[in-house]
Amino acid sequence: MANIAIDSVKDRTFDAIVIGSGASGGWAAKEFTEKGLKTLVLERGRDVVHVKDYPTTNLYPYELEHRGEMTFQDRQRNPIANRCYAYREDSAHFFVKDDEHPYIQDKEFDWLRGYQVGGKSLLWARQTQRWSEYDFEGPARDGFAVDWPIRYADIAPWYSYVERFVGIAGNKDGVATLPDGEFLPPYPLNAAEDHFRKTVDNRYKGRHVISARCAHLSQPQPIHIQQGRVQCQNRTLCQRGCPFGGYFSTNSSTLPWAQKTGNLTLRPFSVVHSILYDKETGRATGVKVVDTNTKDELEFYAQVIFVNASTLNTNLILLNSVSERFPNGLGNDNGLLGKYIAFHNYTARISAEYDGLLQYKTDGRNPAGGGYIPNFRNVTRQETDFLRGWAAAFGASRQELRDTGGVGTNLKDGLLQPTLSNWRIHSHMMAETIPKESNRVWLDNNKKDAWGVPLLHISVAYDDSDWQRRQDYYDQMSEMYEAAGFTNIQTADDNRRPGNDIHEMGGVRMGHDPKTSLLNKWHQLHLCKNVYVTDGACMTSTATQNPTLTYMAFTARAVDHAVNELKKGNL
Amino acid sequence: MNRRAAVRTLLYIAGGTMVLPACFRESRKASIALANLSISEADEGLLEELVETLVPATDNPGGKDLLLHFFVLKMVDDCHSPDDQQAFTKGLAAFRNWSQKELGKPFAEADLEQRTALLSKVADSGDDELTSFYGMVKRRTIQGYMNSQYVMTNLVKYELIPGRYNGYFPV
Repeated sequence: MANIAIDSVKDRTFDAIVIGSGASGGWAAKEFTEKGLKTLVLERGRDVVHVKDYPTTNLYPYELEHRGEMTFQDRQRNPIANRCYAYREDSAHFFVKDDEHPYIQDKEFDWLRGYQVGGKSLLWARQTQRWSEYDFEGPARDGFAVDWPIRYADIAPWYSYVERFVGIAGNKDGVATLPDGEFLPPYPLNAAEDHFRKTVDNRYKGRHVISARCAHLSQPQPIHIQQGRVQCQNRTLCQRGCPFGGYFSTNSSTLPWAQKTGNLTLRPFSVVHSILYDKETGRATGVKVVDTNTKDELEFYAQVIFVNASTLNTNLILLNSVSERFPNGLGNDNGLLGKYIAFHNYTARISAEYDGLLQYKTDGRNPAGGGYIPNFRNVTRQETDFLRGWAAAFGASRQELRDTGGVGTNLKDGLLQPTLSNWRIHSHMMAETIPKESNRVWLDNNKKDAWGVPLLHISVAYDDSDWQRRQDYYDQMSEMYEAAGFTNIQTADDNRRPGNDIHEMGGVRMGHDPKTSLLNKWHQLHLCKNVYVTDGACMTSTATQNPTLTYMAFTARAVDHAVNELKKGNL
Repeated sequence: MNRRAAVRTLLYIAGGTMVLPACFRESRKASIALANLSISEADEGLLEELVETLVPATDNPGGKDLLLHFFVLKMVDDCHSPDDQQAFTKGLAAFRNWSQKELGKPFAEADLEQRTALLSKVADSGDDELTSFYGMVKRRTIQGYMNSQYVMTNLVKYELIPGRYNGYFPV
């Protein structure tokens, strides 16, 4: 029997609709509801309630059926998910399985997704760095993509606003390429990491090794306690969901906050098919949704729509939002929607050993993971054959070496009486990639998914400059390692596919000019002003930073703009 | 530890796999439910002696007490490829024959010292079936041992909630 409430247009009308409940969608929900707007959050997956729906969170390793390992059958069925570092027995329930949600790889691309309330904010690596002026100026200075329509000064106050609520552990390092933020105490570098920091500080002007900045409550403030979150307990089991709320996720933070206002309606199991457009008013009127349980098609209406479906799904929804006025997708007169997709190049690692400072080891666990080396390449001027640069994760640890060679009591002794290794040094590269028109996504003309939504084609690849940046990473890091007295320096290509970095960006890029971009400086579609895109799809370039903090700051700023525009009657 | 109770505990922990106590078993099948491996009661007994030889009971529990033979079977059954599984079953038979030949009696009837000495010779046997089987068993036995509740709560303590980090901890 039809639901009377659902049948009523009035009951399906809100002030704002937010598509997606990940990190950026959660922020849109919080900001809209706090500002008094009746807000509908649509999530295609199931609900995940903080703590209650973290089934593995308190399990000991021996309580996991396969001690964390994925089964052979699962690896065969879900090769894409299994290539993700975080896809393990304790977290697999938060990942999309390959065959549940197919897409078409015109070139090999690992699309990693979290279809549930909270999205990938449950699973993210929690590294949070601000962009700098150099990053926003990059495309204009170096002549690629298009000029960002905003600069650091536009977003800086919003970074601060978001950081205070999220809780970011970090040190005020005074590094121009990585502006300082509103920090909780940092997780200090360990002895070997600190030694590397000092070496680099002394020998290399403009290069820095800092404590990794991360969304963990190293010292919760009243605003975090009010969210129901307490101090991070250094479990480093974050991908299970944290019962302490020690790291930021939509589920632990923004969504319960939005719920408290009484203005939030959360609707899981709601796949957005398309955005509805009214050519008379030149505005979007709402969204068409498929209920994944009933397969019913429903329409919901609002004055303003935020698209936070995750980069590629945001592209998909806009491409699928066709009308008489926009036959090629909403706001897509220039044909650039779905193009200039970019990502981060994670294809390189370096390991080494260090025999100094053996009077120290580590105790407990570091949720920040160790150190971070901000990009120092081509910052104030072009110095290499390739454009832009790379950042690096950096860490050191001492391992307990267990002799597994013996049999019987020898083996037992070997296992139970480990020896402490020297310092093992590890690093991986996070390089900028250059957005290109040829890296793109589009809709299939015939094939549809279970909800009648066309399948997405993905054609995204590395280019030669990606290998030049990688070589530079190897060269520079090896030299710095040698300067620090590290030995046994080993570089290792990591042949991961694009997408495996889980930093896909672009396709609905921002810019000044409607002819060459889709979004204006406020994240509004140039051609449909009450539709905003503030997830990774809006990115004009990628820089080297982990992007989530920037999406959250963009979202808070854009909601502020949208609410002001609504008050002025402009939307 | 009462074996039957222990089996139930293990399988409860392992996710509630169905199990029948030995006295109710009609065939001579293994006592845990396996989807892919075909393992007889005798195979299971041999594997039990094998894990006990690898990690013997001393003043603390060994492979038998910790039911590591079930763990090995569970992991090979669920996490290994069909090729591996075939190599495992073949290797188990090869091990039975080889140990009988080397010891002049069934593996289980040899004393711990003889069995330990025998396992030290597997690598030199030059028999691929044997070495790959033994490699699988040893790796999974070590994993099961180190990740057992006993070891993790008594010998190499696993902290679920460390609540601290010190990067300059004196050795």
